[in-house]
Amino acid sequence: MMLCVNKNIVFLAFVSALCSADVIAIGQLMICRPIFCAPLIGFFMGDVSAGLWIGIIVEMIWINAVPIGVAVPIDVSVLGTLSTFWMCKYFMGLHEAAIWGLVLAIPFAYLYKLIDIWGRDFNTKLMHWVERRVQNGEYRYINIGVAVGLFFFIAKAFLFYIFSMTIGGWIYRFIYSEFPNFVLKGFQKAWYLLPICGFGMAMCNFRKIRILFRR
Amino acid sequence: MFVSNNVSFKMMKIYFSMFVKTFFIQGLWNYERLQNIGFLFILKPLLCKIYSDETKKREAFLRHIGFFNTHPYMASLIIAIVASMEKELSESKYLGEVSDVNTVKNIMEGPLAAIGDSFFGGTLRYLIVFVSIFILFLFANMFSNKNNKFVAYNFWIPLVFIFFYNIVHIPVRFLLMFIGFRFDRKKNIFLLSNFRFMFLGKVLYCSELVVMIGALVLYLRFLFFGCVNINARFFESSVCDILIYAVLFAFSIFVSWKFSAVFLFYGTVLACIGVSCF
Repeated sequence: MMLCVNKNIVFLAFVSALCSADVIAIGQLMICRPIFCAPLIGFFMGDVSAGLWIGIIVEMIWINAVPIGVAVPIDVSVLGTLSTFWMCKYFMGLHEAAIWGLVLAIPFAYLYKLIDIWGRDFNTKLMHWVERRVQNGEYRYINIGVAVGLFFFIAKAFLFYIFSMTIGGWIYRFIYSEFPNFVLKGFQKAWYLLPICGFGMAMCNFRKIRILFRR
Repeated sequence: MFVSNNVSFKMMKIYFSMFVKTFFIQGLWNYERLQNIGFLFILKPLLCKIYSDETKKREAFLRHIGFFNTHPYMASLIIAIVASMEKELSESKYLGEVSDVNTVKNIMEGPLAAIGDSFFGGTLRYLIVFVSIFILFLFANMFSNKNNKFVAYNFWIPLVFIFFYNIVHIPVRFLLMFIGFRFDRKKNIFLLSNFRFMFLGKVLYCSELVVMIGALVLYLRFLFFGCVNINARFFESSVCDILIYAVLFAFSIFVSWKFSAVFLFYGTVLACIGVSCF
């Protein structure tokens, strides 16, 4: 199989930012879901299988993390993308390194959530700016407002990925090298156990099945 | 086919551009009025075309700058109905009040959001995720001793997910918009209220459960008979391992119900580290 290996951080951060933009801003074609974006990063880094496995773990455990209404859940594309990137860049093929990547990616996903909330708040100011223009009959500012909103969304995601892939990568590598052997063995076990947790998480959604059929 | 025969080519072009713009409805999503600018962004080509009088055009734009929020896929139908009403208003064919446009919009956005969230977000996506995982573990079982072939099939799983999801979602968006243009408001609401969403939801829900159980069985088969690293095993005996997996599965259901996914993830990893200590 041909693998398109491109380990350039700027390129990968841009691809990841485009995937993250799919959550809200562009399309909702589900390219933001970890089952797609983690193997995509794995494809560029040279290990699709590890990316897919990470994607499946994240997809199943965080299967309910979907932005509905004004709720902003943890960004699962950040989890899949960062852990695949870190593992493939520093410890290619090591399952325990992938689990450590997931463990470390969760605080980064929460950080991205805060940035996302700030971005949505900034959009309110942008919306008022567009509104004033529309009141003056300058309708082209609607298109400009949407374009600026999209630009800021992708730019903030891009800068976040650049920061987390470099600074986060340094933290990831530094701490991983200090782990004792039993922790690494624990991570190895977790690699195959976490999909079971994912199935359990998904099964939890069927607890309302009786209510559905009573209607 | 989708719009009435007396629609000009220029209007068809506008309708199509509106359909393409629905993919950007949340481009300027904000906490105050959510999708309002996205909604205006989609309607803009039509409003600019149908209103020649500047005052009426401005009024129409200001009418739609208020709060709007629905499921992004289901917004297509509301946009089409509002567009038809605006067209009637511009041609002075509409007999009701101007405020009816916003009333229809506000009444429809809530129920359509609920249908979209439960059907797309809560049923279809789950089903397609588990179909993809089922296919992956099926191939994992078939080619577990032929690693190269397994890797080759891995490559297609994310594409299967994207393909099956979008083969349903994009036509639904397209049909909702063009059915909205094709019929009048009453006919649209009649069609919508007669569509058996509950039945479809139940069918997909059951399929999802069956596929998920199938994927779980295939995964367990892969764990015990596939090429899994021996360090991932807890005991030499498979029977004890099966017991651990069963306990973990039951524990995961309980934790998912009462706590968060992050708690479940960290709890499992810490438990694995704890077991490896001894």
